[in-house]
Amino acid sequence: MSIFEYNGSALVAMVGKNCFAIASDRRLGVQLQTVATDFQRVFKIHDRLYIGLSGLATDAQTMYQKLVFRHKLYQLREERDMKPQTFASLVSALLYEKRFGPFFCQPVIAGLGDNDEPFICTMDCLGAKELAKDFVVSGTASESLYGACESMYKPDMEPEELFETISQALLSSVDRDCLSGWGGYVLLVTPTEVQEKILKGRMD
Amino acid sequence: MLLLLFRLSFLSFFPSLSLSQHFAPTGTKPHQRISVSLNFKQRKQREEKRRMMMKLDTSGLESFSAAVPSAMAAAEDQLFAPPSFDLPAGCADFDKFQMEAKQTLKHAKGTTTLAFIFNQGVIVAADSRASMGGYISSQSVKKIIEINPYMLGTMAGGAADCQFWHRNLGIKCRLHELANKRRISVTGASKLLANILYSYRGMGLSIGTMIAGWDEKGPGLYYVDSEGGRLKGNRFSVGSGSPYAYGVLDNGYRPDMTVDEAHELARRAIYHATFRDGASGGVVSVYHVGPNGWKKLSGDDVSELHYKYYPVQPTPVEHEMVDAPPA
Repeated sequence: MSIFEYNGSALVAMVGKNCFAIASDRRLGVQLQTVATDFQRVFKIHDRLYIGLSGLATDAQTMYQKLVFRHKLYQLREERDMKPQTFASLVSALLYEKRFGPFFCQPVIAGLGDNDEPFICTMDCLGAKELAKDFVVSGTASESLYGACESMYKPDMEPEELFETISQALLSSVDRDCLSGWGGYVLLVTPTEVQEKILKGRMD
Repeated sequence: MLLLLFRLSFLSFFPSLSLSQHFAPTGTKPHQRISVSLNFKQRKQREEKRRMMMKLDTSGLESFSAAVPSAMAAAEDQLFAPPSFDLPAGCADFDKFQMEAKQTLKHAKGTTTLAFIFNQGVIVAADSRASMGGYISSQSVKKIIEINPYMLGTMAGGAADCQFWHRNLGIKCRLHELANKRRISVTGASKLLANILYSYRGMGLSIGTMIAGWDEKGPGLYYVDSEGGRLKGNRFSVGSGSPYAYGVLDNGYRPDMTVDEAHELARRAIYHATFRDGASGGVVSVYHVGPNGWKKLSGDDVSELHYKYYPVQPTPVEHEMVDAPPA
């Protein structure tokens, strides 16, 4: 198994009408053994910007700590929060700095930009940005996730429907992956509120 | 495509080249050392080149070739190289290629199966997940194979291997019955299978099976694997989830359990293995083998078992917005 499959992960972010949702699984494993079922993969940068990091768990945590550090400095200098597009460029630059000894993580960035316009993007472990208008996926279950999202996604969904869709896509995809699952975690962000939900999934 | 045609036409101009050298399939003789034949081929090629170069008069070009020696040599190499094809990938080192091929086919026995003998017979239990690396190919595989009405075999390792050889064992057991007018013992059946698997040792079969049954001597349980091992015992668990199953099984085992207690113990053990092991999951099947043969006791979805054993506790809400009480 490759280094990206050492811990196992599944991440997906979807765009709705003036809102977005980002979801992850909750398993932390060491190859086939499950070590934890409450592992956090989606982190908050500020109220309207979230990043999910799949791949090697230690690199995901380190990457998150570096990004929080850089964002806090930015906040001190600019006296405002970072825009999602700027943040995506920052993540990309940080990953490419380690071009010949990379962080083994694949980020999924989701945020609300100007005029409450939702923004999502994903990157490979070297920082190649992939902007999408509908959904982005990452992790060991990414192929199943692509299939599930492609068939279940509709543009301009309301928050409740978006939550249903992303939950079903995540749960059905991780049910086809040995290395991810054991529950789900969904974050639904609208201009006025943030909802965190934990999904009851198959625990095998 | 064009290159291929060119090479074929080129070949027609040199009938002296022995075709067998270039187009003999490698590995026709199993003991042939590939490295030796390469050198032989290279030597032949060099000889041909030298012979061909002697026909051309390059005296007029000597001064030119002295000034640009490398370019000329390279051009000559290309022009006069006899037609040849690249050896297929992996054949430079055939032994390593064979090892790699066996490795790709090696299924890491991603499963959990267990069986134990107690006073009332034998309990056999297994999960139902088939995985290929990280991908779950099926959640509903029958891993307990019914060899005959009083003997069961479990499947771990390569699914095709287990299914085929268990069916083969069933055939051999029936033939024994017809030839000897009595049922084969569990000892005999497991020995038959073990001998077959031993003869295929090293060829890449992947089988980790338990043969459980009830014969004239009472309950019998044997572990047989594709390395040729055969062990008699009271408790076994096979597969990637076996350490987790052993933990629960060894803790709760008593020889004087009732059938219901033994059933629940086996179910719990497999459930815990599916929770911890990524390659096990799906449905827990539990069978009981008694004096009158085997009987399937249950087939429970593992996820439902989880929420039955550990129901979701309602957690206190951290940030609850309530209307301010009227003053």
